[in-house]
Amino acid sequence: MKRLLRSWLWRVPLDQEFDEEIELHIEMRTRELVAGGMDPKDARAAAIRKMGDVRRLKRECVDLGRKRDREMQVTLFLEELRDDIKFAFRQLIAAPAFTLVATLTLALGIGANSAIFALVDATLLRPLPYPNPDRLVTIWEKSPASARGFASPPNMQDWNSRSRTFEKIAGFTPSVASMVLAKPDGTAETVSRQWVTAGIFDVLGVPPLAGRTFSADDEQKRARVVVFSEGLWESRFNRNPAIVGKEVKLDGELWTVVGVVPKEFEILGKTSMWAMRPFVNMPPRARGSYQLQVVGRMKPGVAIEAAQSDLAAVADGLSREFPDFNKGRSVALEPMHDTMVGSDLKTTSMLFLGVVGFVLLICCANVANLLLARATARTRELAVRSALGAGRLRIVRQLLTESVVLAIIGGVLGIGVGYAILRVAPVLIPDGLLPGTVTLQFDVRVVAFCAVAALIVGVLFGIAPAWQATSFSSPEVMGSDSRTTVGGGGRLRSLLVMGEVATAVLLLFGAGLLLRTLMAVESFDRGFKAQNVLAMLVDPLGSTYPTPEKLRQFFDQVEADTRALPGVQDVAWSSAVPLGESVFGEYPFTYAVVGDAPVDPSRKPTTNYQIVSASYFSTLDLAIVAGRNFDPRDTPTSPRVAIVNEAFARTLGGRNPIGLQMEVAPADSPNDKPTIVEIVGVAKQVKQRPDETTDFIQLYTPLAQDLVGDIMLMVKSQTDRASALAPSVRAVIENIDRSQTTSVASVTTLEDVEWAATGRHRFRAVMVSAFAALAVVLAMVGVFGILAYSVQMRIRDFGLRRALGATTGDVLRLVVGGAAKVVVAGVIVGLVLSAAFARLITTMLFGVQPLDFVTFATVTIVLGIMTSIAIAGPAWRAARIDPAQALRTK
Amino acid sequence: MPPTPSKTPNALLHGALDALILKTLTRGPSHGYAVARFIEETTGDAFLIEDGSLYPALYRLERKGWVEAEWGTSELGRRAKLYRLTDAGREQLAAEMATWRKFSIGVSKVFAT
Repeated sequence: MKRLLRSWLWRVPLDQEFDEEIELHIEMRTRELVAGGMDPKDARAAAIRKMGDVRRLKRECVDLGRKRDREMQVTLFLEELRDDIKFAFRQLIAAPAFTLVATLTLALGIGANSAIFALVDATLLRPLPYPNPDRLVTIWEKSPASARGFASPPNMQDWNSRSRTFEKIAGFTPSVASMVLAKPDGTAETVSRQWVTAGIFDVLGVPPLAGRTFSADDEQKRARVVVFSEGLWESRFNRNPAIVGKEVKLDGELWTVVGVVPKEFEILGKTSMWAMRPFVNMPPRARGSYQLQVVGRMKPGVAIEAAQSDLAAVADGLSREFPDFNKGRSVALEPMHDTMVGSDLKTTSMLFLGVVGFVLLICCANVANLLLARATARTRELAVRSALGAGRLRIVRQLLTESVVLAIIGGVLGIGVGYAILRVAPVLIPDGLLPGTVTLQFDVRVVAFCAVAALIVGVLFGIAPAWQATSFSSPEVMGSDSRTTVGGGGRLRSLLVMGEVATAVLLLFGAGLLLRTLMAVESFDRGFKAQNVLAMLVDPLGSTYPTPEKLRQFFDQVEADTRALPGVQDVAWSSAVPLGESVFGEYPFTYAVVGDAPVDPSRKPTTNYQIVSASYFSTLDLAIVAGRNFDPRDTPTSPRVAIVNEAFARTLGGRNPIGLQMEVAPADSPNDKPTIVEIVGVAKQVKQRPDETTDFIQLYTPLAQDLVGDIMLMVKSQTDRASALAPSVRAVIENIDRSQTTSVASVTTLEDVEWAATGRHRFRAVMVSAFAALAVVLAMVGVFGILAYSVQMRIRDFGLRRALGATTGDVLRLVVGGAAKVVVAGVIVGLVLSAAFARLITTMLFGVQPLDFVTFATVTIVLGIMTSIAIAGPAWRAARIDPAQALRTK
Repeated sequence: MPPTPSKTPNALLHGALDALILKTLTRGPSHGYAVARFIEETTGDAFLIEDGSLYPALYRLERKGWVEAEWGTSELGRRAKLYRLTDAGREQLAAEMATWRKFSIGVSKVFAT
C-alpha cells in the first residue's frame, strides 16, 4: 500500500528528486573531506569529481524513475480493479434475486443478438469464400428492358478478349436443372446440374480437390466434361479419387469426370455437378441468346468504376459492330457479393438486426432500472465511502465495474442462449433464403461478438445509475433517516420505462404489420385449389424414348394407369407448379399478334410459358373463362393452339383473344423463327408468387403438341391424404418403364409448395413477433419493477394518507395514475416512432399499408392489457396498506 | 516480484553491487550517501566504486520493488530521500547470498586442492 501511496503523495518531479539527492550526497561528502582536513573549496571539487558524469547519471536515473512510475500506475490500476471485481462479486452474491433477474435479462438480450449476428455475419459481413473476393464482379447485360439482364455467350467472350481491366471473364446458367445419372446396376437417379463456361473455375480461383477443372482445350474440342461437387463425390463415390478421368452416363450420353471441387463452389447454385457448355463456332444468332450470368475477376488494383467504364466502352464497340442484336445494350457491374446475397436477404438481416438491437436496449434499460433502484438503497453505503476519502470518479468506477461484471456474466449466459438459438434456427429458416453454402455457425466470431456486446452493454446500463448514485452530498445523506431517502433516481427511472414501453410498441407494431402481411399472403385467392394434389418430377431418360411418339406414349400410359388407381380423382402433366418452380427455370417467351407492326426484339412483351396436359385445369380447379380447354382435337399434326391467362388477354388491346394467331419465341433467342399458335381459350388468372402485386402473363401450350423432357406429374386425391398416393404412383411408373431408367424426384404436395412459397413472410413474421413478445415482457417487468419499488418506498406515505382519511380509491388513483402517465407517454412515443420506422419495411409488406390503423389499434390495446397486468400487483398491494401497520414500518 | 537468483559468475559480479546495497539497507532506511559510506567502510579498498554509479543501482532496485523510497530527514536537518528494504528485497538478498556462498565455496574448494 505504501508503494501505491508514493505516487499519490509524493508529487516531486523526478529531476528535482534526483537533484536534491545528489546535492545532499555531495554536501555530505564535502563535509567529510573537510573534517579530514581538506580545504573546503578543494573538498567540494573532489566530491563532485568522485560523483562521475552527473549529467549522464541524471538521464539514466530519471529514465528509470519514469518507467517505475508508469509501472506503478498500471499495478495500482490492476490492484484497484481486482478489489473492485472482488467487491462486485460480493455485492452480487448478497443480492441473489437482483443478480438472477439482471443476468437472465442480459443473457436473453445478448443471446438473441449473437444469433442474429451469426446470420448477419454469414450473409453480409463474411466475404465470398474465394481468393481476393473483392476483385470478383457480376457483369450484367443492360438492355432497355432490363438493367440486370443475362448475357449472350458471344458477347461474354468478346468482353473477355477485349477488356483491359479483367483477368478473366466466365459465365454460368443461373438455374440448376437435373440430369439422369445411370448407375452401374442399371438403375438411374436424378442429379442436379448447372451449366458453366470453361473459365468459371479460373475466375473464382477454386482449386480442385481432385483431378482438374475445365481447360480452354476442353472447349475447343467440345468435350463432354463435368466437374463433380464435393457433396456428390462424398455421398455417391465415397471420396474415391479414382472417379477422376472416368466416364459416366448422363441423360444417356457419356461424360468424362475431370475433377472435383470443394463445397464453396456451390454458392453459384445448389448443385451436384457442373457441366461445361462449349461456345465455339457459334452461329451469328447466338449473339441474341441471353442465357449466361457472367462473373469477372478484375486485375489487381482495378476499381470497379474503372472496370465499368472499360467494359462499357467494349460494349459500345459491340453494339456498333452488331447493331441487329446489341443496339442499345451495355453492361452493368456490381460486386459479386451483392449478387450472391441478394436484396431480400439483406433487408431481412437488417430488419432482424434492428429488432434485436432494440430488444437489447430494452434489456439495458431494465437492468439500469434495477441498478438505479439498488443504488438508491445503497446511497448511505456510498456516502460513507465518499466520506472516507473515495473520490466520485473512484466510486463511479467501482459501480461501473459492478455493472460490467454483471454484463459479463450475462454475456457468458448469452453465449449459451445464442448457441441454443443457432441449434434450432436452421429448422425455421426457409429454403432458398440463404444462398448456396452459407450456413449459420456458432464460432469464435459469435463469441467475440458476445464479449464486445457485454462490455458495451455493461457500460451503457451502468453509467447513468453510477453517476446518479454518486450525486449526493454525504453529510446530508448520512445524517438522514433511511426511510426518507427516496432518491433522485425516480425521474430517470420513469424515463427509462417510458423508453422501454415505446420500444416495445415499435417492435409490436412491426410484428403486427408482418403478421398481417403473412395473413394476407396465406389467404390470398390464388385462382386455383392446391388441396390434395400430389406433385413429383418425372424424368424419363432420353435414350429409352428416342422419339416424341415414344415419349408421348409413355406420358399417356402413366396418366391412364395412375387415373385407374383407387383414390385418384384427376391426373395432369405440367412443366411448372404454381407458386413453385418450373422445369425450365426462368424462361420467358416473347409474343406478338401475327400481322401487327414489328417491334424491336428487345422491346417485345414477354410471357411465362407452361406446357400442360388438358387435365391440368380440372386437376387444379382452374376455370377456363372463355373459349375451350385443350382436347383430343389438338394433336402433334393439327395446327398449334394455346390458352392464355386473363392478364395476357388484357395486353391484346381489347381484341377478343379467341382465334388470334400469335408468334411466340424464347426471349433468350428472339431471332429464332417464331412458332405460330392460335389462342383457343382464356384461363383464370393464377398467382405465380404469393405476394405478387402485378398480374403475371401466362401462356399454356398442350403437351400433345409441345414436348418437354422432364415434367411434373400432378395427382389429385379424393381424400385429404394426397401424399399417401406417392408409392402407388411410383409403382405405376416403374411398371411401365421396364428398363427402370426413369427417375422420380421432388415428391411433394401442392400445399407444401404453398407453405414453402410463403416461407419468407412466415419466417420474418415469426421472428419479429417472438422478439416483440420478448420486448413486451421485458417492458412489463420494467413497469412492474418501478411501480413495486415506488409503492415499497411510499408505504408510510400511503399509510399516512389513509390515516388522514384518504380512501382506497384515492391511493389506487395515486399509484395507477403515476404508472399510467409513464405508459401512455411510452405508447404515444412508440406510435410516433412506429409511423416513422414503418416506411423502412414497406418492401416486406403485402396487403397492408405501413400506417395500418388496425395494427395501430391492436398494438395499443395489447400493450394496454399487458401493462395493466403489470400494474395490478403493486396497485393491489398499495390498496391493502393498513395505516396502523404502515406507520410503524421502517 | 520473486527473487531472481543469478546463475553465471559474470552476473554474480554484476549483481554484487545490488546485493551490497540490499545488505546495507538491512540495518535500516538510509539515504544514498550513507549507503556509499557503509560500503566503503566495510569493504575497504576491495570495492572501489564511483559515488555516481550507486544511484542508477538504487533506482533500478526501486523499480524492481526491492527497495522503496520515502522522504525523511538527514543528519543535516534537511529533507532527504531515504531507501528502505522491502520484503521482496529481503527475499532477493537471501537468494543472492545463497548463490554467492555456493560460488565462493566452489572456488575455495578449487583453491584448496
